Amino acid sequence: MAKRILITDDALFMRVTLKNILSSNGYEVVGEAENGAQAVKMYSELKPDLVTMDITMPEMDGLEALKQIRAADANAKVVMCTAMGQKNMVVEAIQSGAKDFIVKPFQPDRVLEAVGKLLAA
Amino acid sequence: MKVEYVTPFVTASVSVIQTLIGIDAERGKLSARPQLFTSQQVNIVCGITGEIEGQVIYGMSMLTAKNMASKMLGGQEVKEFDQLAASAIAELGNMISGGSSNQLFQSGFKTDITPPTIVKGPNISMSNFDIPTLVIPLNVPEVGEFEIAVSLRQRKLQAA
Repeated sequence: MAKRILITDDALFMRVTLKNILSSNGYEVVGEAENGAQAVKMYSELKPDLVTMDITMPEMDGLEALKQIRAADANAKVVMCTAMGQKNMVVEAIQSGAKDFIVKPFQPDRVLEAVGKLLAA
Repeated sequence: MKVEYVTPFVTASVSVIQTLIGIDAERGKLSARPQLFTSQQVNIVCGITGEIEGQVIYGMSMLTAKNMASKMLGGQEVKEFDQLAASAIAELGNMISGGSSNQLFQSGFKTDITPPTIVKGPNISMSNFDIPTLVIPLNVPEVGEFEIAVSLRQRKLQAA
């Protein structure tokens, strides 16, 4: 069975790009959230195997969404995927439970490597 | 407004464009404007907050925007500047601002960025506390010319 992934990004372009990379490599994209609040809601509804999370989004940012998802599910696998790559952001994300931190722009292999490592059967 | 606030945006633009589409951008000469405005057709406006605050506008012609979106979408033709193309350009602005924020951080200024807004021109001026603006042209071969207008200042510390 294909591993199920929830994508979170406010940019349509990013959601389309990530969906293409993931679905053409054997993963099932089960949902696309446009902001942190949607991601939190969709996580509890869909229970995906992994979440990709942007940081800079309206309504609720990715760090807040990460914390809420992790609070609801201590086993949640969240990979940050963001343009904000400052050291303090990375530290805060990892300390809040993110499993990896990808800085945009990224090569498709970087995403596949991160996701593959976390979802290895 | 200091020239040193501008350098991170130029460096980040060149780096992001190279990573995204494999083309080396060439920067042109710096010029100044008393206020933040743009006469370009397609503009991405990003807010910068924190120890340095203000706005940055990435401006370009509609043709340049379509060319850039096309390259970002793997070469697919962009006939109309639709939601997907606009989103690609907005994301370009987001990535450049993010990279610039990181460089500002390394220079000792802690900043954050706001989600980008696309504003279609021409002739847009923004009320921006009258922070002078520095403008850098960036030529991207095969794509077109971008104009990066940077209007930033150091946030005043609160009085004790």
